[in-house]
Amino acid sequence: MTGDGHEFDEVLISGYLDGELTQQDAQRVRLHLEDCAGCRRIADDLRTMKEATLTTRFRVPEDTQWDERPRGAVSRILHDAGLLILAAWVVGIAAYLVWGIASDAESFTFENVLVFGLLLAFGLVVLSALVDRLRVRESDPYRKVRK
Amino acid sequence: MITVMSAVDEDHRLILAARSGDAIAREALGRRVSRSAYLFAFQLTGDREASRDIAQDGALRFFRYLDRFDPARPIEPWLFQIVRNRVRDLARRAQIRRHESLDALLEHRRPEPAAADHDPAGEAERADLRQRIWQSVARLSDPHREIFLLRDFHHLSYGEIAEVLSIPLGTVMSRLHAARMNLRALLGDDERRFGREGSDR
Repeated sequence: MTGDGHEFDEVLISGYLDGELTQQDAQRVRLHLEDCAGCRRIADDLRTMKEATLTTRFRVPEDTQWDERPRGAVSRILHDAGLLILAAWVVGIAAYLVWGIASDAESFTFENVLVFGLLLAFGLVVLSALVDRLRVRESDPYRKVRK
Repeated sequence: MITVMSAVDEDHRLILAARSGDAIAREALGRRVSRSAYLFAFQLTGDREASRDIAQDGALRFFRYLDRFDPARPIEPWLFQIVRNRVRDLARRAQIRRHESLDALLEHRRPEPAAADHDPAGEAERADLRQRIWQSVARLSDPHREIFLLRDFHHLSYGEIAEVLSIPLGTVMSRLHAARMNLRALLGDDERRFGREGSDR
């Protein structure tokens, strides 16, 4: 319905303009548009909007502005392995420091606190990168796509 | 002999060349995917920085699955689904700042004066309409904006749109029509909105 009381599914106008209707429905819309000034006006407006939208040109960043290029498989493997080793190293050092402080309270020095704080902060950053990476893998609907 | 190569054919050629290790093809494919993802992300978010990140993420994922990607299929439905999911993720985490109007990136190219159909007044009118359309697109609801963009700017088929938005094919036409009618209403009720001033309709 167009709202002016006549029996016609106005939604078909969009399908007609997009060429997505069956031949039979397209013919039905064509005939209706010949008779109905209201629907014809809608069709004209939507066609004008479509043409104006489709012919719009947008500026995109220069190619040189893309900071990171897609990496190859070797680069990705090296990157992931490096990240994993780094994470394990941070956890190992932190655990060693905690164990050292817990087992020998006299070794609890200002330097220990500095190193521990630094490692903890670094570890949290690495952990956040790992969490993001895992989340991306989980939300990718094409992860299991096979050719 | 002049060979006309469609965008899909060109993508197909690039994908096959990139798979075989052609560095130039990889680079060209990376640029092509990044640009497309950036544009759709910006149209959804109005945030250049977030769009750049999303585009890079989209390109990385594309290359990660390059060997499994069917080169006969168009890239956009796959890519836009990734972009849309990422935009929704960032929006949920309030990491998108919608501070730019969508017409901020419009390219106002002037037609060649020597062109036979050069019509400065008509071109100015069309440019004005384009600007108002993109200002209004930003005011559409998210579901209406994305379906309008996918069809009327990126020219995806109804089947491809259903795939990107994960909605039934039958819903595409009705939602798209609602989006267009909302946009038409946002453009205003005056006769000038479509350059119809003084017409007899």
